[in-house]
Amino acid sequence: MTDRFLTVGKSLHRKDAWDKTSGKALYTADIPVENLRVGMIVRSPHHYARILDIDKKRSLEIPGVLAVLTSDDIPGDKVFGPLIPDQPSLARDVVRHLGEPVVLIIAETKRAAQEAANQIQVSYEPLGAVFDPVQAAQEDAPQLHQDGNVITALNIKDGDIEKGFQDADHILEDTYTLPRIHPGYMEPETSLAVWGEDQTITVWVSSQHPFTDQGFIAAALDLPVENVRVKSGVIGGAFGGKEDSSLSIMAALGAWAIKGAVRLVNTRRESFVAHPKRHPAQIHYKLGAMSDGTFTALKAEVHMDTGAYASYGPAVAAILTETLAGAYRIPNVQVENFVVYTNSPLSGAMRGFGSPQSHFAVESMVDSMAEEIGIDPVQIRRANILKVGEKMFTGVTLNETANALPICLDKAQEIMDRFRAVEVSPGKKAGVGMALAAQSMGLGANVPDDSTHRLEWAPDGKVLIHLGAPDLGQGLAMAVEQITAEALGLPYSQVESLPLDTLDRPNGNVTCASRMTYMAGNALIDASEKLIQDLLAHAAEILEVPAKMLVYKEGQIIKEDGTKLPVVEFLGRLAEKSITLTSESTFSFPYPEETTPQDLPIGMPHVLYCFGAQVARVEVDPDLGTVEVTHFAAIHDVGKVISQSGVEGQIEGGVATGLGYALYETMLRKDDQWVDSFTEYLLPTSKDLPTHYESIILEIPEASGPYGAKGIGEIPLVPTAPAVANAVKNAVGVRVKKLPITPERVLGFID
Amino acid sequence: MITVSFLLNGKKASVTSLPNRTLLDVLRENLGLTGAKDACGGEGECGACTVIMNGNPVNSCMIFIGQIEGTQITTIEGLMEKGEFHRLQKAFVEAGAVQCGFCTPGAILMAKALLDNNPHPTDHEIREGLSGNLCRCTGYNKMIDAIHLAEQGGLDD
Repeated sequence: MTDRFLTVGKSLHRKDAWDKTSGKALYTADIPVENLRVGMIVRSPHHYARILDIDKKRSLEIPGVLAVLTSDDIPGDKVFGPLIPDQPSLARDVVRHLGEPVVLIIAETKRAAQEAANQIQVSYEPLGAVFDPVQAAQEDAPQLHQDGNVITALNIKDGDIEKGFQDADHILEDTYTLPRIHPGYMEPETSLAVWGEDQTITVWVSSQHPFTDQGFIAAALDLPVENVRVKSGVIGGAFGGKEDSSLSIMAALGAWAIKGAVRLVNTRRESFVAHPKRHPAQIHYKLGAMSDGTFTALKAEVHMDTGAYASYGPAVAAILTETLAGAYRIPNVQVENFVVYTNSPLSGAMRGFGSPQSHFAVESMVDSMAEEIGIDPVQIRRANILKVGEKMFTGVTLNETANALPICLDKAQEIMDRFRAVEVSPGKKAGVGMALAAQSMGLGANVPDDSTHRLEWAPDGKVLIHLGAPDLGQGLAMAVEQITAEALGLPYSQVESLPLDTLDRPNGNVTCASRMTYMAGNALIDASEKLIQDLLAHAAEILEVPAKMLVYKEGQIIKEDGTKLPVVEFLGRLAEKSITLTSESTFSFPYPEETTPQDLPIGMPHVLYCFGAQVARVEVDPDLGTVEVTHFAAIHDVGKVISQSGVEGQIEGGVATGLGYALYETMLRKDDQWVDSFTEYLLPTSKDLPTHYESIILEIPEASGPYGAKGIGEIPLVPTAPAVANAVKNAVGVRVKKLPITPERVLGFID
Repeated sequence: MITVSFLLNGKKASVTSLPNRTLLDVLRENLGLTGAKDACGGEGECGACTVIMNGNPVNSCMIFIGQIEGTQITTIEGLMEKGEFHRLQKAFVEAGAVQCGFCTPGAILMAKALLDNNPHPTDHEIREGLSGNLCRCTGYNKMIDAIHLAEQGGLDD
């Protein structure tokens, strides 16, 4: 069969890879600027305290110190927040978590800034802190914010929960506990701000949505939005963590104060304590099933620790809640979710956005239920997976992409059989486990979910993509270049995506939620069609023939008599007349009325889903409790592969992050300190990952996607931890209900 | 202040600085070579600042400038020869081993040091060799593929 695609689906070289392999790529910390000053943040040493006094005097006396700024010095809004403006840029009156910014110092050198930070006098009155979200939700807990600690309380019901449990032959109940996780991007948060003439400022960011930074900066500095120009540096990974302002407000404030250039870079320790993490959660989960395995009822109660400020907590809660039944049909459901403030560092967006937490509960419990009833783990899943046209408990009707579910299970079964046949290493116990996953795409109903992008056909024939959203490193630029090249029938080399700049790029919205290839891809296919129409209209005028007599194909205009004229000729003629061909298109995430229930809180429901399954084979040392994942397979439906190597890279990297969640990562608190370095917080290394690894990529076209594509950014890490937990149970009979699966937990020494 | 002289990417270099600064500080701040990155806060945990010193890979954040007198140092900026990309650079591009790229310079230099000492490493030896270079994007698979591609000479150089 010949591939009908020219560019889409191929493994091509990323255009940014040459600069990245030769050290030329400029990340925000690398951008050279004249007369650059250093910013440094003095942070709270307390989890919770009242600020009694801040004495700047001694700091200001240090030679080379240019400014010592507190909340009082911020000319505009002193608080910000992506959903709820509850987060002070610099603490005011009270600090609510260790590491909270209190004072911003600007100095000529790092040394002077450090000295000024050492000399700053802040008097605190420590207050009793609360860390456990269940405790914090009680009325007698210290109340961290005016309206209490519970920000969001979701309660969603479907069917008749009491009847559902009456119909059950088996009922299981457990509590699953999920740790605090660092997104783990290699590039720490950083920003560079340069004050300009006429009350303008230019700020470089490492951000998933520079337009949000622009708004925050303008509000904080009390400037018109158009006076703030935000540009994207090369981004060293984000994984959700850079949806929050990554020092952009601080750098801008510093530059404004000294009317100069200021860069701030968080150390990794600052990044740990002062920037949002994946939400720790406690999920109490009760599932009922009939003796044939059919699920009858689900009741769940969730407490999410969102830390000192809301960040994206309420939005993460939506997806965590909506995915509490995983990919299964459960007729009677009652789920409650409480998002709670605590004195922990903030929790916010991270790859998966709630699904990794919910799936650890669902997929562990489904295996427990299979064992309880005495049926095969794949068989119980097969009996309960949602089918096309069926409703999730939120009322969302699944489209034909649900056809991926039975295929995922078939593949998983084959692989499990294969992995079970592998010989066990001496002294070890082997086990094989699997998990299924559903990950939503999009921001959710009733929130603005539009994405605008522009094309420009330059006189030299090159097509420039004015991409309205940043590439975080995952390869968005390559994907949209491939899609645009395909739509215009041009070689990949002739299409180039430009980095984000709020001055003249359209707003493509935030790069997140497994949807930017989908959103930008759709917008750019439409923009390509418009561009061709515009080209033909101009060509008709030049050739003095009706436009309908002309056809565009692969960089050429074909006349009625078959003569082929290269497009560059027309572009050149237009350039002489100062005409540049451009087109712009907005794609709005579809929330079809007939399949989108309207009775849920704002931002809910999510209506389009990605599906996948993963299989793990582990070897456990029964004496030491150590777990080695020896074999791993990831099966994912992507709708249509846009970039083969890009999709593989997303899956492989996602699985690695999922294995970190399963086995190693947790940001513990030991009395007065949080784990805040890679010495104690263990990211998986090349030695920790399975040596036998396979990706199985399915292509079940998504009708609304560009060439049938849907998202792959998040789901590869969603089923990983429960697949490993199920394999460990299979190997040694221990059900670990709290991540990470450490040797102590496998041996039953803790929890 | 101290002054040190060394060979940087094949050329003589000299830096005068406070003695408590690291090679990473000097490369990035004095010499404008920003290919070496800081991802762990200068604690020797991530490998993003890896350079080759006298043939051995080192975390440049762990080297004080007093230690570099008379040494030969190769950074990512010095890997190209006569305008040609090094086979490891080509292999990383070809294998799709580059995503965000922040760990890439360090990983490539680590791989170069590995291949210089062991021209045809096994999978296991590559995993061992790369284990000090953290990457959150790739899961390392494509980096390992890239190193094999380079050692097997599967590239047109």
